[in-house]
Amino acid sequence: MELSTINKNVLDEENKGAEETFQFIVIRLGEEQYGIDIRNIDTIVKMQPITRIPKMPPFLKGVINMRGEVIPVISMRLKMGLEQDVLTKATRIIVLKLEQEGNVGFIVDEVKEVVTLSVNEIEKLTYNSKEEKTNLINAVGKHNGDLISLFDLNAITLEG
Amino acid sequence: MDVSQYLEIFLDETKEHLQNLNTRILELESDAENMDTINEIFRAAHSLKGMAGTMGYKRMQNLTHDMENVFSEVRNGNIKVNSGMIDVLFQCLDALEEYTDNIQSTADEGTKDNEELIKQLNDILNGNSGSGAAKEEKQTAAAPTAQNAEEDNAKWDSIALDDSQITVIKEAQKQGKNVYGLNVMIQENCILKAARAFLVFKAVEEKAEIIISSPSAQDVEDEKFDRDFTLIVLSDAELDSIIKAAEGVSEIEKVTGAPVVLENNKHYHASEETEEAATASAGTETQEPAEKAAASATPTAAPAAPAVKPAADGKKQAPSKPVVNRTVRVDIEKLDSLMNLVSELIIAKNSLVSASTQEQTNTNSAFNEQIEYLEQVTTNLHESVMKVRMVPIESVVSKFPRMIRDLSKKLNKKMELYMTGEETELDRTVVDEIGDPLMHLLRNSADHGLESAEVRAQRGKPAVGSIFLDAYQDGNNVVIEVRDDGNGIDIEAVRNKAIERGTITPEQAANMSEKDIINLLFLPSFSTAKQVTDVSGRGVGLDVVKSKIESLSGEVEVKSKFGVGSTWTIRLPLTLAIIQALMVVVGDEKYAISLGSIQTLEDIPASDVKLVQNKEVIHLRGAVIPLIRLNEVLDVESKKSKDENLIVVIVKKGDKMAGLVIDELIGQQEIVIKSLGKYVKQCRFISGATILGDGEIALILDANALI
Repeated sequence: MELSTINKNVLDEENKGAEETFQFIVIRLGEEQYGIDIRNIDTIVKMQPITRIPKMPPFLKGVINMRGEVIPVISMRLKMGLEQDVLTKATRIIVLKLEQEGNVGFIVDEVKEVVTLSVNEIEKLTYNSKEEKTNLINAVGKHNGDLISLFDLNAITLEG
Repeated sequence: MDVSQYLEIFLDETKEHLQNLNTRILELESDAENMDTINEIFRAAHSLKGMAGTMGYKRMQNLTHDMENVFSEVRNGNIKVNSGMIDVLFQCLDALEEYTDNIQSTADEGTKDNEELIKQLNDILNGNSGSGAAKEEKQTAAAPTAQNAEEDNAKWDSIALDDSQITVIKEAQKQGKNVYGLNVMIQENCILKAARAFLVFKAVEEKAEIIISSPSAQDVEDEKFDRDFTLIVLSDAELDSIIKAAEGVSEIEKVTGAPVVLENNKHYHASEETEEAATASAGTETQEPAEKAAASATPTAAPAAPAVKPAADGKKQAPSKPVVNRTVRVDIEKLDSLMNLVSELIIAKNSLVSASTQEQTNTNSAFNEQIEYLEQVTTNLHESVMKVRMVPIESVVSKFPRMIRDLSKKLNKKMELYMTGEETELDRTVVDEIGDPLMHLLRNSADHGLESAEVRAQRGKPAVGSIFLDAYQDGNNVVIEVRDDGNGIDIEAVRNKAIERGTITPEQAANMSEKDIINLLFLPSFSTAKQVTDVSGRGVGLDVVKSKIESLSGEVEVKSKFGVGSTWTIRLPLTLAIIQALMVVVGDEKYAISLGSIQTLEDIPASDVKLVQNKEVIHLRGAVIPLIRLNEVLDVESKKSKDENLIVVIVKKGDKMAGLVIDELIGQQEIVIKSLGKYVKQCRFISGATILGDGEIALILDANALI
């Protein structure tokens, strides 16, 4: 589908030797915008019934059936230390391919757009805050005057 | 053609032969006079030698050759079996196993010559009359093959030779080379005939030049032949040596051969040739019956031999074969993917079923009938696939008697292993994994369990300790028990050790039940052996056993009585992928409970629930059964009011029972188990998930973990 063509475009652009660029899907959690590297995204689906698993940390909402595969779903909000999800028509589950955990779904408030950021628009965060929220963020992207926090996908684990 | 493609077969067979040798030599030790055992040993050793030779593993060949010499002396009665000799033979087997392992990992046998062993073997030989080797050659040339000889004889005379081949043969005969006809009969139950045939070709080619084969080499390679094939070869070597080389290949029933006389060939026009008429009679009268045939051909296979008759055009008519056990070797991965497909099919079937029940009003009965039929078919299909994957645990446990024998010598304790239920079947993947844990438990019993001879005498126990290994099927589980009549677990020793190690505090220790104490043994790095031996006692083992068994979705328990003995019980699920389950509702969630652990379903009035030690129990047909309210365990609100009747699912694990209180029953369903991956560990009573017909996910409750 589109993803593969997008990925291809990214590669094409890289191959051209032009300034290196990355594509991010911009999502909304509460008032803030976050970016997820498009290469890590498997698929995006609408909210669907989640089967709860007892005795799990609260952010692990349960499991869903993704084309015959049972995959866990995490509340991005709770993981970031925000309040409970408010389900709306815009709520989506983004399924990410993580190296350690395999496919994992994340509940987000809204999927807004795809942006292309060049290297000099991405600023790596060097400070090491103890706040859990920032531990998942490793860079900030500047786009049309907005700031987009970029997720460090390697930091997302299913453990408490 | 390249030998490497036969490496797999070679390894498989070598292992089989080695295991066979292990078992038989053990038998030989207890019953030195049994001719059947000796013959069997001889045959296995001989095949091993032949295979190793063909594959070019010279060291392995040398060692087996010397072993074979010893066996042949034993068979001829020139050497008496004694314990020292058995020890040497076992060491040889270990060395052979080492070669095999090397070959498996590097395709090379390694550089160890094992000269010491070969020397010991020769000492055994020389310690007795050294005349055996020659005698053995003749001894087994047995009568039964003689009567078949007539019909098998001179098959090469019906091969169609073209002019150039005739010229070659004539030329060779003029040069004083020998021209032989060979007929190779492959055993009836042989699976890879083409591979065998190839090995025969290869063996023969080392000694001779193959001029023609019937069927053609290509057909033979494509397995387009029945049970035998015929060769005409040129050679400087003796006929006997060629026949022996061909017979060295395993699963060859017999090889016959004789010098070829062109005049006897049905396709040869006598008019073309006159000068060699002198030797005309030689072809029919020389018949070399295979000396191995008596030993290697199964008795049932022998009468079938004459069934093959050559037709005039050189092709053979399809003979009527007696039905034998026909098998196919299949890669386990193919079975896995087959299993996955069956799983998908069952999920699809479940969605059909749920779709049809939702729209019951407008579905006709024919549709429902077909759905029911489909259900039957998928269930049968699933069972068949399951059965294909099942193998007897024999392949794993058959090495244990040998191990116990070794341990007995090493630990200087007399002990005997009794096994039952070796034929119990388990999923192949489980069988592959279960060997190590069982070995640990047996070693444990031998080392820690059984007392020293003095202590046994004091306690009035028989001098020879007994270790039992029993396997049997129990519902949806397979149970394997390792039992000994030894010391049992010294609860106090474990308790003190745990306190000393700081694993538990003295206060904790005082409150722990015997069972809790015993469970401490399964903690990593916990050993009570007063003395560390190289058999056990290093504190690795029981925790490994436990984690291995649990990774197979099984569990291990121990019961022990101090001074009397211990019983270790391993309980494994029969299937890993698809089970029959009862679907239940708790709160507003659906759960599946494996039918295998369910005893009965009960409707209990709320007033029948009694309190014992502040725990809810019910009386049921004379038994007191503790109640587990699933809604509490699963943190959901029950939809039922307090004074309504309870729906109780009675589940059983071993001799323990419990009643699971649920809100609603849905019914029985075949479910496909999907792993929850690493979450299972966080929630121990959920063993997986399954996808229901409507795409919804239900969790599978592990009743065993709840009890």
